[in-house]
Amino acid sequence: MLLNTFEYLKPTSLGEALSVLDELKEKKTQVLAGGTDLIPWLRGRVKDVDYLIDLADTGLDHILFDDDQGQARIGAMVTFTALCEHPEVRRRLPSVAEAALQVGAVQTRNQATIGGNLCSAVPSLDGAPSLLVLGATLRLQTQGSERLIPIEQFFLGPRRTVLQPGEVLTEIVVPLREDFTASFLRMGRRKALTLSIVNVAAGLAMDGQQVSQARIALGAVAPTPIRAYKAEQLLQGRKMAPELFAEAAAVAATEISPISDLRASADYRRKISVVLVRRALEIALARQKKTQTEVRAAGGGV
Amino acid sequence: MRKNISLKVNGQQYSLEVDAKDLLLHVIRERIGLTGTKEGCGTGECGACTVLIDGIPINSCLYLAVKAEGKEVLTIEGLGAAANLHPLQQAFIDNAAVQCGYCAPGMLLSAKALLDKNPDPSEREIREGIAGNICRCTGYVKIVKAVQQAAAELQQLERGVPSEPAFGSPGCREHEGSCR
Repeated sequence: MLLNTFEYLKPTSLGEALSVLDELKEKKTQVLAGGTDLIPWLRGRVKDVDYLIDLADTGLDHILFDDDQGQARIGAMVTFTALCEHPEVRRRLPSVAEAALQVGAVQTRNQATIGGNLCSAVPSLDGAPSLLVLGATLRLQTQGSERLIPIEQFFLGPRRTVLQPGEVLTEIVVPLREDFTASFLRMGRRKALTLSIVNVAAGLAMDGQQVSQARIALGAVAPTPIRAYKAEQLLQGRKMAPELFAEAAAVAATEISPISDLRASADYRRKISVVLVRRALEIALARQKKTQTEVRAAGGGV
Repeated sequence: MRKNISLKVNGQQYSLEVDAKDLLLHVIRERIGLTGTKEGCGTGECGACTVLIDGIPINSCLYLAVKAEGKEVLTIEGLGAAANLHPLQQAFIDNAAVQCGYCAPGMLLSAKALLDKNPDPSEREIREGIAGNICRCTGYVKIVKAVQQAAAELQQLERGVPSEPAFGSPGCREHEGSCR
């Protein structure tokens, strides 16, 4: 059992949820999404709450591809199962589907949500790297106001975000670009049910043989998911050459600050980062040449 | 905070007063008295507590009982009865896919959810479907075989063909094993 009880509220619209959160913003209030991260926290008494606001019925489970606006809008309460099974996400945002497909295992993906994953702000969260390379923005709403921030600005540190009391992440907005292809890779101790030792996303836009844009993001190797800006810069404008991606990967490894923990040593994380960055770039490049994209690296197995 | 909930478990309606902090796992075991659902890690990393909610497998140790209001829950007790085993349960017996048995209820429910969604899974899809259920006896090979057997049998049933394991096959339940 959880040790402490709390008031459980389940608003039936986003408006109601924001109004409840506004009223209770001086109290110890916590939003509940999938619960896969929060419940163990409550259980371990790492976190103590007086009010739990369940967003299950607030209608934040939409996935919309708006080609007029050139963006996909993903509701914060979309589960990883819904995300990785969505045909258009798989086809047009394969790196997002790849990340969703490798979170936890079936049960976890059925419960956990993309918004909850981001708000957990654990350094190893698998939802962030793809969204970082795709240039996603996050819609944060409070009663009566909202702001859109680049995902780079969302994370402050382990389990810390810019969310203010009463504020909720409601939607992830992902630009849709035909010229930019991305991929996601992760390495864990097993294929399923384990936190990432390192996770990486890479994205490229090409002008013939020349890299016109590169983005690289890594997780579990710094206090927050990060972009590898120096490696991106190195690639910018460069002509494709056999060792180019290896060179960029080596630079990316200088931009991270991994720790040693029970999952892996800092040294191992650094070495794996080099390999994953190079491979993720190779996959992103291969996707430039194809119109039809296969979602790689299906979820883990036993 | 106390809250009244009503939910269906294995087809039977229950109305209970629970605390907001109660986990579905504990309500199923201690209030409803169905102890087939097991608690392993308690943090969503082993799958022993897997139940199906409206047909979808979830970890009941990560699920507040109050969230089950109006839902339909299937636990291992609702999958089959001793006298009338579900084909998956029979296949687990036939293939000796149960060792200590602690993971079996969750494993079976994950397998059921998989076959409901994908009646003819590849071996890889089976392994991915049960990836959220850890078998500490590491009996995965036999578990995968059992799910393959059950999938074949369920598909035969679907087609209306009575399933009869071949004479002498591991699935043959006649002749008390003398045919092997």
